[in-house]
Amino acid sequence: MLFLLAIVLTSAAMLGAERLPLFDLSEQQRSILYDIRLPRILLGACVGASLAVAGAGLQSLLRNPLAEPYLLGVSNGAALGTMVAFVFFQSLEITRPLLAFAGAGLATIAVYRMAKSRAGMNVERLVLSGVIVTTFLSSIIVMLTTLLDAAKLRSFTFWLLGDLSQATVNGVYISLGAVIVGTIVLMSQARALNLMMVGERDAFDFGVEVGRVRMLVFGAASLVVGAAVAASGSVGYVGLIVPHLVRLTVGSDNRLVVPFSAIVGAIFVVFADTIARTAIAPRELPVGAVTALIGAPLFIYLLRRN
Amino acid sequence: MNSNTTAEPIRPMRVVTDDLDRKVTIPTNVTRVVSLAPNLTESIFAVGAGDRLVGVTTFCNYPEQAKQIGKIGDTMNPNMESIVALKPDIVFVSTASQIENFTKTLEANGIAVYVTNPTDLAQVFKSIRTLGDILGTGDTASLVADALEQRVAAINVALRDLPQSGPMQLDDGRVRVFVQISREPLFTIGSGSFLNQLVAAAGGISTTAEIPSAYPKISKETAVALRPGAIILSDSPDNKEPNDAFKNSYAVKEGRVYTVNADLLSRPGPRLVDAMEQVARYLHPEKFK
Repeated sequence: MLFLLAIVLTSAAMLGAERLPLFDLSEQQRSILYDIRLPRILLGACVGASLAVAGAGLQSLLRNPLAEPYLLGVSNGAALGTMVAFVFFQSLEITRPLLAFAGAGLATIAVYRMAKSRAGMNVERLVLSGVIVTTFLSSIIVMLTTLLDAAKLRSFTFWLLGDLSQATVNGVYISLGAVIVGTIVLMSQARALNLMMVGERDAFDFGVEVGRVRMLVFGAASLVVGAAVAASGSVGYVGLIVPHLVRLTVGSDNRLVVPFSAIVGAIFVVFADTIARTAIAPRELPVGAVTALIGAPLFIYLLRRN
Repeated sequence: MNSNTTAEPIRPMRVVTDDLDRKVTIPTNVTRVVSLAPNLTESIFAVGAGDRLVGVTTFCNYPEQAKQIGKIGDTMNPNMESIVALKPDIVFVSTASQIENFTKTLEANGIAVYVTNPTDLAQVFKSIRTLGDILGTGDTASLVADALEQRVAAINVALRDLPQSGPMQLDDGRVRVFVQISREPLFTIGSGSFLNQLVAAAGGISTTAEIPSAYPKISKETAVALRPGAIILSDSPDNKEPNDAFKNSYAVKEGRVYTVNADLLSRPGPRLVDAMEQVARYLHPEKFK
């Protein structure tokens, strides 16, 4: 798998709007490679890994194959946070991810609070709350877009569709830090998640601190999704499809599903973004459009197979 | 509306042809006008008929008097009810896309819809004369259009025999220009934009004239390879400096980065000549001393 990731990263680095020779790069070509292409590929890998591990963690936690950052309002919370940074603050590199993380966290807490009843936590209620929070946040986002002037609206729309073109070296550090921390947290909870997939009752009997696991998984998901959305907007389908593909290959043990999701997610987004960068060069497509084009048919295929 | 029992005197009407070759029946004496585009609003004021405007869009911010006129929504989403309530004789529309949706409704209410979408300087001048004719201010319109044409001619004269002074110039002395519409994501002008022509008329050559669509988002890799000799920023809050992709470009290193008011650049109206003069002065200051 890591070998495949290496191949995808290398071929992505060789492909782009401008053709680069393998050796003897001029100063200008070096700038294209190191300042523009590589940060973007690395950011794509971080974003893909983030969305996929968040999807894997949430699906196991909620025992629901459809659970993923978008459905549960995490992504829209992050999108709204980013948008607030966009509209009300001079979108500094650090305000965006911070507000995105805050938005993702608040949305998750809101969904969780709504879903929690005296009888405990019921998965159907949780998904329903997620849908409600998602649509509510969407409507706020739409309302805010009407406040943007035409120029801001254009760049925001592009960002909303998922766009990796704004990759910067600092942005890569932020995303890389978030995805490493988030993956480690999820890995540390992998055994507990395995037990929770059987059922919360059983997990509880096995001595799993269900409430703590839930907090950690939600927190990690908010962290990685916040960083991913702040960096690249809404790249869809990654959190939904990648964990499914991984489970088909390695089974449902989260000790394998989480790390493999990270790798496959990175491969998927870097591959999609390479298409986005080259298909209509020198113009570009938003990467979210490409992941949806690949992801939607793939998902339908997976559904029919099961 | 169409009953003949009213005692109103019948208004003399005439038929004019718009840019889409539609036959439009309008009163000979037009008194109430709605404009659905800022460039048309500017042109209507320029030909001395601003006082007939009873409704404009929220984008119409020039001249100053335009801000006092009632707003009927923005160019993309004009409010039909507001327009009909204003009882205009004629509504000026700038795009064919706006027209299909509400031409029927407007015409059912006895309101004429006139489409004019100038996309280059020659068409702007023609559009100004036509507006003057429709609004009964043909003489003023002719004077305005003549004066604008003279200013363009003066720029052409000034830009004769350009010296080959910089490394980023063509053999005929024209400067390689990159027009940046938005810094992040990086939007520029493409083959569908009238601004390539404006840059050429101002003694430059647009480096992105071949890229399809009017305002493409382009790859930063391509931006690095374009090597512009000058960068024109369309002024907006998020477009105050060139994209980082240009940090090593001749334009940035030599300080040849210029800002032009976005409204001047984006509106094919009378102020397009102002934009052309500004760009010409920026590109060839030695010719305008």
